Amino acid sequence: MSTNTTAAIASTVQQKIDSVQAFVMHHARNSNEFSLPYLRFELPSYISIHGLMVVLAAVLLLLAFGVFYRKKALVPTGLTNLLEMFVVFIRDEISIRYLGDKDGRRMTPIFCSFFFFIVVMNLLGLVPGFAAATGNVSVTLPLALTTFVFMVFGAIFKTGLLGFIKGLVPSGIPWFLAVLLFPIEVIGVVIKTFALTIRLFANMVSGHMVLFFLLGMIVIFGMKAAPVIVVALLIYGLELFVAFLQAYIFTLLSAIFIGQRYHPDH
Amino acid sequence: MEGASMTGSIAAVGAGIVVVGAGLGIGLIGSAAVQGIARQPEAAGKIQVNMLIAAALIEGVAFFCAVICFLGK
Repeated sequence: MSTNTTAAIASTVQQKIDSVQAFVMHHARNSNEFSLPYLRFELPSYISIHGLMVVLAAVLLLLAFGVFYRKKALVPTGLTNLLEMFVVFIRDEISIRYLGDKDGRRMTPIFCSFFFFIVVMNLLGLVPGFAAATGNVSVTLPLALTTFVFMVFGAIFKTGLLGFIKGLVPSGIPWFLAVLLFPIEVIGVVIKTFALTIRLFANMVSGHMVLFFLLGMIVIFGMKAAPVIVVALLIYGLELFVAFLQAYIFTLLSAIFIGQRYHPDH
Repeated sequence: MEGASMTGSIAAVGAGIVVVGAGLGIGLIGSAAVQGIARQPEAAGKIQVNMLIAAALIEGVAFFCAVICFLGK
């Protein structure tokens, strides 16, 4: 008799675990539903929620930089000041430091685009009801491929095809080491791109999954697990930090990799 | 009891080992960074930036292997 109830309890716990896992997997993926509390609607089949978030991030950035940014004020205040702080930081510490003065100033817009776009997409994922578009490889892969295009074709434009191939290995090393190092460097270009996409994607997806599984403890164990809410709030704060940090790391590593190909002499 | 067996997938064990590696690596970086700041407090900004870069690279590798473990299961 007691084995029957233990088995019955175990099976309902297993059902709850399965349902929590299904919920988390469903929310980590892209889907056609857009659900807010008590309001759920099905998007048409050609719009997905990650796509909607990408467009929303673009619209927000266009509004912030186009409409709400006061160009005419001599002394920046408010949102203008905040955006200028970030842009100056990206120009000085990321772009000019790793690409030199001339190229740094020319390439600052692309790095600002990377940073602001990724940060807004990450932050939109933290709003309840929305999803993080960077939690989809189809979003992070094009961003990394942009870096790849700059690394390969931008460097070919700058130093010529032969200069690019010679610039892959450091100068002044004996020929057998150069022959050994060359395939590693070629694969390295591809792997750097791949690592950029996976780093951003996995950071965003894993953060959300940890949060959902933690809150799923309340589903499985009932209200006894209520103190888990404190941990969930702390992890939410960590996610906020990770949103900015991952955007910064993506931009910084893109600048470092592009700088290595543009100026291969150091 | 003879022939006790476990079920599940070994990908979870792999993910656990990845976490050990990442934790050790980032812990070493953190300790080196904090020691560097202790020796020379005015270089704290630069040391912090380099620490974040190295930690992000190691975390990138860890996540890469965690994704493979997920795909394996």
